[in-house]
This record gives sequence, C-alpha cells and structure tokens, in this order.
Amino acid sequence: MKSQSGKVMVVGGGIAGLTAAWELARQNVSVELVEKSCFLGGYSIGYTCKATDTCQQCGACSVEKMLKNVVGEPLINVHLRTEIGSLDRSDGFKISLKKNCEDMAEALVLKGFSRHNAPLYVRGKGVTEAAPEGAVDIEKMGSEGDINVDAVIVATGFTPFDAEIKGTYGYGKWENVITGLEFENIVRENAGIVRPSDGKRPEKVAFIQCVGSRDERLGNLWCSEVCCPYAMRMAGTIKHDNPDAEVSIFYIDVQNTGKEFPVFYEKIRENVRFVRTIPVDIYPTENDGLKLRHMAEDEGSPSFEEFDMVVLSVGLMPGADSKIVSETFDIPLTVDGFLDDSVDSGVFVAGTAAGPGTIAGSMAGAGKIAFDAVKYLGGAK
Amino acid sequence: MAETTDMIEVTINKDVLVIGCGAQGLESAEAVAAKGYKVVLVDDGDVPAPASADIEVMANTTVESLAGMTGDFRTCLANGSGRSDRTFGAIVVAPKYGLAPLNEAYGLALDDKVVSMTQMEALLGDAAFKKTLGQGEGKTIAFVSGFGQEGDPAATSRVLEAALTVQKLGNARAYIYANNVKVGARGLERLFTLGRNEGVVCFKPLEKPAIEQGDTLKIVINDPVVREDVALEPDYIVVEEEVVVGRANLDLAETLRIDTDLDGFIPSNNVHRFPANSNREGIFVASTLEDAPNVALRVADLLASGVKSVAANAAVVDETKCTICLTCYRCCPHGAIFWENGIAAISPVACQGCGICASECPMDAIQIGDFTDDALKADIEGAVASVSGTPSIVAFCCQNSALEAGEAAKAFDTELPQGFRMIQVPCAGKVDVEFIMKAFVEGADGVMVAACHEGNCKAERGSTFAKWRVEEIRKRLETIGLSKDRLIFTTIASNMAEEFSMKVRMFAEKL
Ligand SMILES: Cc1cc2nc3c(=O)[nH]c(=O)nc-3n(C[C@H](O)[C@H](O)[C@H](O)COP(=O)(O)OP(=O)(O)OC[C@H]3O[C@@H](n4cnc5c(N)ncnc54)[C@H](O)[C@@H]3O)c2cc1C
Ligand code: SF4
Ligand code: SF4
Ligand code: SF4
Ligand code: SF4
Repeated sequence: MKSQSGKVMVVGGGIAGLTAAWELARQNVSVELVEKSCFLGGYSIGYTCKATDTCQQCGACSVEKMLKNVVGEPLINVHLRTEIGSLDRSDGFKISLKKNCEDMAEALVLKGFSRHNAPLYVRGKGVTEAAPEGAVDIEKMGSEGDINVDAVIVATGFTPFDAEIKGTYGYGKWENVITGLEFENIVRENAGIVRPSDGKRPEKVAFIQCVGSRDERLGNLWCSEVCCPYAMRMAGTIKHDNPDAEVSIFYIDVQNTGKEFPVFYEKIRENVRFVRTIPVDIYPTENDGLKLRHMAEDEGSPSFEEFDMVVLSVGLMPGADSKIVSETFDIPLTVDGFLDDSVDSGVFVAGTAAGPGTIAGSMAGAGKIAFDAVKYLGGAK
Repeated sequence: MAETTDMIEVTINKDVLVIGCGAQGLESAEAVAAKGYKVVLVDDGDVPAPASADIEVMANTTVESLAGMTGDFRTCLANGSGRSDRTFGAIVVAPKYGLAPLNEAYGLALDDKVVSMTQMEALLGDAAFKKTLGQGEGKTIAFVSGFGQEGDPAATSRVLEAALTVQKLGNARAYIYANNVKVGARGLERLFTLGRNEGVVCFKPLEKPAIEQGDTLKIVINDPVVREDVALEPDYIVVEEEVVVGRANLDLAETLRIDTDLDGFIPSNNVHRFPANSNREGIFVASTLEDAPNVALRVADLLASGVKSVAANAAVVDETKCTICLTCYRCCPHGAIFWENGIAAISPVACQGCGICASECPMDAIQIGDFTDDALKADIEGAVASVSGTPSIVAFCCQNSALEAGEAAKAFDTELPQGFRMIQVPCAGKVDVEFIMKAFVEGADGVMVAACHEGNCKAERGSTFAKWRVEEIRKRLETIGLSKDRLIFTTIASNMAEEFSMKVRMFAEKL
C-alpha cells in the first residue's frame, strides 16, 4: 500500500463518524473527530440488545465495538462538546472550533452510554451535590481554536421525529405512549421491558409504524427504513421476555430487516399480530391504559382496542444541524432536507446525515466515504 | 492472562483474486487496484474490459480448488484453455445471483402476455413495443409482486420504474398488485407517490390475487378499502422474480470454505462479518456496490506492503502430541488450519485466536497465545483465592461480549455480588471442561460461562460449543454429588451492562 499522509476532520461521532474516523486511521490518515455532545456514539450507542434465543442482528453491539476501536486509536483526536465555528477554504480547510454552549445540562449529571465513553459522567452547570467519581465539569469540556485539514467528512446524523407533532397520539400527554427511542433506552437501563407509569411489565403492547415517515401531509416522502426492523425486533423481545404478552403492530407495509428476512418474518408472525392500518387516535383509560382507535381493513367500522403501552415507531428526519452544516460546508440539501452525499470537493457526507439508514448501512457507507476521502487526498497532493 | 507478544513477520503475496464480474466485482477490482495491488478478475462467463490496465481478466474461468492460507492462497483456475496455478494474498468474492420468475406462485405460465419482470424491462426498452402499448384504446399492464415471495426494495424499485414508464406513455395504464410495498430504500417512497400521481393504480389485497389465464387474462381481488371484488382484464401480466443463489455460488463457497446464510447467500448472517468479511481472514465479500471500497480497505489492511507482523503464538500445535485426528481442522470456524509435514499447522495470519481448536483437540495438543492452559488455570486459582467471606462466583467471559458487558457493569457501578470474579477468555469456545471443573475444585461456589448470543459469536459456533459443554458438565455434577445449579451458561451482548449484573445477581441468589 502507498503510505498515505494528510489530515481529515470528521464532524459527528455517531456510528457513521466513528467508522469513517477509524477507517481513515487504518489508512494512516490522522483524524480530528468533532462531536457536539459530551459523548461519542450518537443515538445508537444507547440502544438495547434485541436478541431473543438468538441474536437478531440489530447491530447495536457493533457500535460498542467500533467505539472501542476508535478510543484506542492514537491517530484519532477527539473533540467532545465541540462545534464548527467557521470555515476558510483559501488554502485547504482552515476550520475554527468552538465549544457547544447550547445545552449546559443545568442541574444534571449526564451519564455516558458505554464504558468507552470518556469521561463516563459529566457534571452539568450548577450541580451542587456530589457527582460520581471521575465526573468532569461541562464547562471544562470542548475545544477552541483553528485546525487545518485536507478534507472533511460530515456525519452529523439524523433527528428522530418529534412525536408530539402527531397530536392525536397523545405523546407527551399520556405517560405510556412512548417512542421507539425511549423503548431502546428503557429496556437497556432496566434490563427488561417496563412501562413508564408504574414500572410494571406491560401485557398488551401496540406498535404504530410510520410515525412521521411516509406522510404526505407532513411532506415527509420517505421511508425511514429502520422502524419496521426495530419494531419487529422489539416485539420479538417482548414476547421472548413474556410469552403471554400480546403484541400488535399497526403498519402500512412491512419493510425487511436484512439477511434471512423470510425466516425472521415467518417466526415473528407466529408471535405477533400484524394489522394493516394506521390508528387514528389514542385516549387514556383507567389504570394508565390506552384506548386506540383504528379502522382495520377487514372490519370496516372503527374499532377500539385497549393496550397497556403504545410504542410510536418514530422515523429518521434530517439532522437538526443539516441547514447550518449545509451552509458552512456548501453542501446542497436533498428535496427531503438531508445533506446531498454526491458532493465531491473535499467535503464528504456519511451516514444518516444523507438519508435514513441502519447501523450496518451507515458503517458500509462510512467505509466507502473513507476510501473516497483517501483517494481525494492522494489526488490533491 | 499471560503477557506474550512474540511477533513474527510473515511475507504476504500482494496479488488479489476477484471472483465475479458483476457491477460490484468490477468495482471491487478497480478499488483494490487503486490501492496499488495487482488484480486478477475471473468470471465463469464473459468479462467486460475493466477501466484499469492493472487488472488481468480471465473470462469463462472457475476456481477449481483452493489450498494454502491467507496471504498465500494457492488456487487452480480452470478454463477452456486449461488450468493454471496462481497464488494470491487475498480473495474477493463478488457473487452474481440469478433471477427466476415466480409465475407458478400465481398459477401462471409464461407466454407472450404473461411475462417476467426482466422480459417486460426488455420490452419497455424497445420503442416499437412501447408504441403498441399506446395505440388504440391503449393497453393495460398489471404487475403482480409480493405474493410469491416477500420481495425487497430492489424488486419494488423495478416495478415502480416500469409502471411509471408505462403510465407516462399517456394512453397505457399500469396497475400494481402488491403485498408489502418495499419502499425501504432511498427515493422509493417518492417514486411510489410520483407513480400514483401519474395515475398508476396500486391494489394491496390481503390475499394473493386470483388470476385466470385463458384467451383473455383476468385478475380478481377483494379490495380491502371498498370491500368489493374488483376485476381487471389486463393485456399483460408481469410477474415478479426471485433472487436465486445458484449451484455455482454454493460450490464456490464450498471450495473457498466460507459460510453462507440460511438462504445460501455469502456470507453468514452475523454482524461480525459486517460489512465485507467472510468467516475466513483474507477472503472478502462484495455483495453490493458499496461493499467494493470496503473490500479494498480490508485487502489493504491485510496485504499492507507485503509483510505482516503477527503474533507468533496465536495458536500453536505441539507436534509431539498431535495424532492427526483432524478434529481441529474440522472445527476451526476461520479455516485457519492446514496440513504441513503430516501434522496440523495453524496459520498465524488466518487464526483469530478463538481457541475452539484447543478445547476440542482430544490430545490437548494446541495452546493459544495469551490464553494457554497454564495461564487460564492460574487465573482461576487467583480468582477464587481473592474471594473470602462471601460466596465466590467465577464467570468465564467471552472478550467480545460478556467481558465488555461485565467491565461496563463495573465501570457504571451497577450492583454486583462481592465474590464475583471474571476470567477473560478469547471466545466461550475456549472454556474447557477442565477449566470449569478446576474452578469448582479451587472452591468456587458458582461457575458461569457467559458467551455471545447464538448467531452473534465471532467464531460462529464458539458459543454453541460452550453451551454443549456446560450441559454435559451439569449432568456430571449431579453424579458427583454437586447441585447442577452451581453451573450456568448464559448469553449477553457487549452493550448490556445492566442486564449482565441482573443475570449475575439472579445466579448469586440461587446459589
Ligand atoms: C428508535 C430507533 C431505533 C433504531 N434501532 C436501530 C437498530 O436496532 N438497528 C439499526 O441498524 N439501526 C437502528 N436505528 C437507526 C440508527 O439509529 C442509525 O442508523 C444510526 O444512529 C445512524 O448513525 P449516524 O452516525 O449516521 O447518526 P447519529 O447516531 O445521529 O450520530 C450523529 C452524531 O453527530 C453529532 N452531531 C450532530 N450535529 C453535529 C454538529 N453540528 N457538530 C458536531 N457533531 C454533531 C451528534 O451529536 C451525534 O453524536 C434506530 C433508529 C431509531 C430512531
Ligand atoms: S441482537 Fe443486536 S445487540 Fe444483541 S447481540 Fe445481536 S446484534 Fe448485538
Ligand atoms: S421502515 Fe416501516 S415504519 Fe419505518 S417508515 Fe418504512 S414502512 Fe414506515
Ligand atoms: S485436534 Fe489435536 S490431535 Fe487432532 S489434528 Fe488437531 S492438533 Fe492434532
Ligand atoms: S484458535 Fe480458533 S481460529 Fe485459531 S486455529 Fe484454533 S479454531 Fe482456528
């Protein structure tokens, strides 16, 4: 292999950014990895394992593995709680970094998601009580100053759909209506499924698909690709934990999970009820229950059904910073508002910043981008 | 764990064999060549000329046999003009899968009105045919998909594109009969919406449509929205196609000794293979275009400048003990064992150090670098001796999963029993019967073997081997008067700290 030199900035430390950084380092390119939050890993570092008797290939543990790789890699220099200030392209890329002061975690102690997060705990502003050992003050985190690099990879990720926009589902009003993202975190932190209102194991659970995606009225004309897979896998874990639980998935079209999907789908259909309709609204009932109204295709009139807990399968929306990033780095936005990944001027886009995708897909995409970036460095020299 | 880092330099052949010249094979060949390696691209059919002059192409060529090891793969390439022996450092498999129409699933026979998706695409590429569709009252084309198989976004994309082409002719109409519309790929939902806005009609019946194939074609469904039978007499019916693996790919996987998934696709369904690895070091898989650069990265990692520094003792066979029983050769999940001078030899480049061979060898002839039998026994003694006053639990933890979860459980201060001790193993498949018994002999109150979930084991079967061994020993414990509940097997993922401590606590309570 030709020995390669050069330096690349990777913006965003989710699975896409981590993978891109690691692949660059493997090719002897040094990396400045800039992450806005206090922890590396993005959304997926907080996900739960969805194995039943067997691994369901959700990919969550791959993120853990990649984070371990990255923190052990001397060629990668990490800047936590840091944002891009400005960019000067007169000679390569001169980028100014600034601390991200948007969220001061007022009166909070933030906990990392992986043991490879360093620090493990961050003490927010104004915290008076003792924080766990090794906690770092949020004000002390963050990088400032100018850095010169030869190329930039943008991996600023997605934003989960804000479920409150779908007002009729009562998210934010009824405690036991949760999002898929909350499901991930609840299960991992509690080592099992419990519902928010009473910490009990739910016996009857509904998943509502396509919340925020495939929605013409919202103008969101894309399938988020990951919510059918995660909902089905979660449904599988609920049944595995509690074979008596009744789980229903309300859907438009079932999307595939990946390899061996026919076998997976057949198995899950033995245990989980699939209803092809998207529910209209949700009302609270006694005992923190929820009444769901839907028009099942085979019934004609509206039906009402009660559940202990409803999980909204929120989709992947363009990253919160996609506009700013688009302006700073001169990356066009797609019709859907994601970053256009076909740019080719020393600025590259990886992962869900460019559109919905899985962990596995983000990793493959980031590998490709790292390859392209190194090719660009070779050509630029 | 003993510290042994004796490194040796191994010379690696810098030529790369790419098998299969579909789009992803060509792309892989180009990407590998761009990294500065010499590429030989073979295909059992024709090979289009690649852009790069550094790529040698061999058409109508198959890989007849594979010997040697990672860094020094010896292949026999066969074609019409004979056989040639070629040596490669790495191999890239870019399988080409076939397509087969699923007309039988709909009770249909292919003819000039009932055609496969591929046939319709060809027809739509023909201006004269397209003209006939728009003539007179215009023709009606019905696409049926998702009832013969679940389908995938690639298939959906073809249906949507073709339907849109038909509809855009102005005077022709496209109908789609679909089960789950697989829009889970970039741009497809938009394409689907565009089609509907252009007038493509999509029915999503709950049952497979009933189709009559006589002088005319007739499709009847019960429309779930209006709750009525809806009949259509289309001029053409286009049936979906399924992807078929084909004998050639299965044979190739066997020749290369690489695993496939349940459906026969290469590689196995395991996140550790992601994105471009097979179970054998040095054999990479490009299933999609995006895999091609990833393959090139892995090739460059391995071949580097032609010399690789590897641990000398990853796994070593003691030739005085080996009785050539072949057990290790058969059970090595990474195909790292070969025969040299009549005994088993292990390639330090290919070996992943899982230790399965060492545990399965009936002669105890194999030692694993950092995890020799002596080192592990010392670890067990140390672990039990360090506990006093409380019940002691020894947990053999796979370093890929349980050890990570356990370390995280400690780092985040989750509640773990006082007498809990972890022993790192490279893979649960390295946990011998002997080690488990040793832990009890040393005085452990409970022993836990904590492995990857089945299907998540990097060594594919290591976790399963461990499970079997634990089951065996549990039976034996009863006969020697110990409760079988003092030994458990459990599986856990690396990211599950809380679940890990819960499992340990539950075990401790039962003791
Ligand atoms: C509920 C839910 C469940 C899911 N489950 C699964 C699953 O089981 N399996 C699966 O494969 N996929 C799953 N996904 C999809 C998965 O989350 C994504 O594929 C993955 O997180 C994408 O990684 P990413 O790096 O592109 O983005 P992100 O995870 O969003 O990471 C982006 C990172 O960039 C940082 N960042 C953002 N803006 C800036 C900025 N301006 N400057 C610096 N840093 C910035 C963010 O802080 C973040 O760390 C799920 C998604 C959801 C919503
Ligand atoms: S289900 Fe997901 S997190 Fe669990 S072992 Fe499998 S890939 Fe890893
Ligand atoms: S993956 Fe499923 S739930 Fe998510 S947007 Fe697509 S169809 Fe809807
Ligand atoms: S299992 Fe042991 S005895 Fe049998 S061939 Fe391998 S090293 Fe030799
Ligand atoms: S340690 Fe594992 S990979 Fe290495 S030779 Fe033995 S079985 Fe194969």
